[in-house]
Amino acid sequence: MTLLEVQGLTKSFGGVTAIADLGFDVPEGQVYSVIGPNGAGKTTLFNMLSGIYHPDEGSIHFQGREIIGLQPHKMAAMGLSRTFQNLQMFFNMSVLDNVMVGCHLRTGSGLFSAALRLPGVVREEREARRLAREALSFCDLERFVDQRADALPYGVLKRLEIARALAVGPKLLLMDEPAAGLNDTETAEMQRLIRCICERGITVLLVEHNMGLVMRVSDRILVLDYGTRLAEGTPLEIQNDRRVIEAYLGGEVQYAV
Amino acid sequence: MKRLRGLFLLTLLVVILPLLFPDNYYVTVVAVSAALHAILAVGLNLLMGYAGLISLGHAAFFGIGAYTSGIVTTRFGLDPWSAMAAGMLLTGTIAFVMARPILRLKGHYLAMATLGLGIIVQIVLVQTEELTGGPDGLGGIPPLSLFGWEVDSDLRWYMLMSAVMLLVVWLALNIIDSRSGRALRALHGSEVAAEMMGIDTTVTKTGVFVVAALSASLAGSLFAHQQAFISPDSFNFFFSIELVTMVVLGGMASTFGAVFGAFVLTFLPELLVIFEDYEVMIFGAILMLMMIFLPQGLFVGLRDLLRRLLQQQRAPAPAPVVPAGEDKHDAA
Repeated sequence: MTLLEVQGLTKSFGGVTAIADLGFDVPEGQVYSVIGPNGAGKTTLFNMLSGIYHPDEGSIHFQGREIIGLQPHKMAAMGLSRTFQNLQMFFNMSVLDNVMVGCHLRTGSGLFSAALRLPGVVREEREARRLAREALSFCDLERFVDQRADALPYGVLKRLEIARALAVGPKLLLMDEPAAGLNDTETAEMQRLIRCICERGITVLLVEHNMGLVMRVSDRILVLDYGTRLAEGTPLEIQNDRRVIEAYLGGEVQYAV
Repeated sequence: MKRLRGLFLLTLLVVILPLLFPDNYYVTVVAVSAALHAILAVGLNLLMGYAGLISLGHAAFFGIGAYTSGIVTTRFGLDPWSAMAAGMLLTGTIAFVMARPILRLKGHYLAMATLGLGIIVQIVLVQTEELTGGPDGLGGIPPLSLFGWEVDSDLRWYMLMSAVMLLVVWLALNIIDSRSGRALRALHGSEVAAEMMGIDTTVTKTGVFVVAALSASLAGSLFAHQQAFISPDSFNFFFSIELVTMVVLGGMASTFGAVFGAFVLTFLPELLVIFEDYEVMIFGAILMLMMIFLPQGLFVGLRDLLRRLLQQQRAPAPAPVVPAGEDKHDAA
């Protein structure tokens, strides 16, 4: 079944066309990667998918519903969550609180019941804390629970963003360069984590520059070039696609798969 | 309960002070206005310290509350408690209506817009003379009474104002330590990430703006009844700045920091009176030194310092020398 359906998507900034008439389908339960050289429009695409930018033309259907024009928080409520290329942590909060923010939609108390700390609020806090700890342990972050986010090393923060996004309880997780800046060990851990997320039934849409990771982790790959679709297929198909090798990789490349 | 330890300490202090110094000027007069300032600062801190939204016009809401209480009780003969509720209703409504256009702005632009709001309210208070008494002020505001208990002495005002301050601190602590409080802090940390976590940032901003305005209005009503006379000067731009200074000086994003800041900024000028002509200069110098040496705020800075000292005392034997951050990287 198709979870996300993109058709005729176009976005330009001033005179520069970042995305031009782009279409693709993301099947449910898979890891679907988007690759392409810098400036190919990957992040622009992500920002449109998560409601931060509005496309000039085209349509984006999530679970059969048009989502263009919805505010990001409405999209989150529909089951779409994301991480960011440049970390967007809440550095002013503890690790646990960061992930508890992710539980916002799974709890519902308002400002006034919170101010009076009604019994329901206390119960809800306990539940949010449980959900957050679960997401943290899934990402192997339990030992950082009480630390402040701004005291953590980069690799941990990358996983913390994922834990926070998972706490939302998404059906589709958009990951923007999760392995950027990670060393080999951390990248291997990230690969395992992405597969684990997928095995939980969460569809992953991945943008990543680390080709080794993309080839190992993806079920399907979309190659972008100048905002248009250059190729789409399984990792094996992409690796053997002549257009991809020529236009994007500039020659024959042997992957260490 | 660990969560409310600070509140218990503050309550203890509030109860003990008048027992130790029953007729002291600083307790029965200065501390009352410090408690009033604390109510204002705690509310403003929710907006500034936690949600990261600056307001240079907070005195406006204080003024609307005070004048509603003053006008409604003197001209329409309503009882003070209903007047207080009316003030909060009016202030809340104004804040709610203003929130949407104002809170779209960020940083300096938000500062300018709130500054404008403060100045407009100030002008309205001066110009609508038939209602507010204009620059001459509004007098004859009746005192408060609580089930027959007249709040007519300094000591009784101390009790009432302190009780309201403790209540406001309790409410603020509850808000911060909840889903809504996390939404506020998230907004400060990263607005775009907050949205992606499902937080309706417009609703959250409006909510905290209204809550901050309501606490200012409550303080305004209390002020009007305590003073019996109010004039527009009490609600001008400079008072807004003073409130911001209290929050920043005490320590942003710390409720007790805001209380502390309010007390320091209320007591300091009183204590500096002995320097006569140099009072204001010394006051300014102290503020500058505090911000240079304790940039995270007086309360937060001193608390962390105290914690470090206590830790050193508990563990006198030098710990094995580990370069800072090493264990952290191992864990990563």
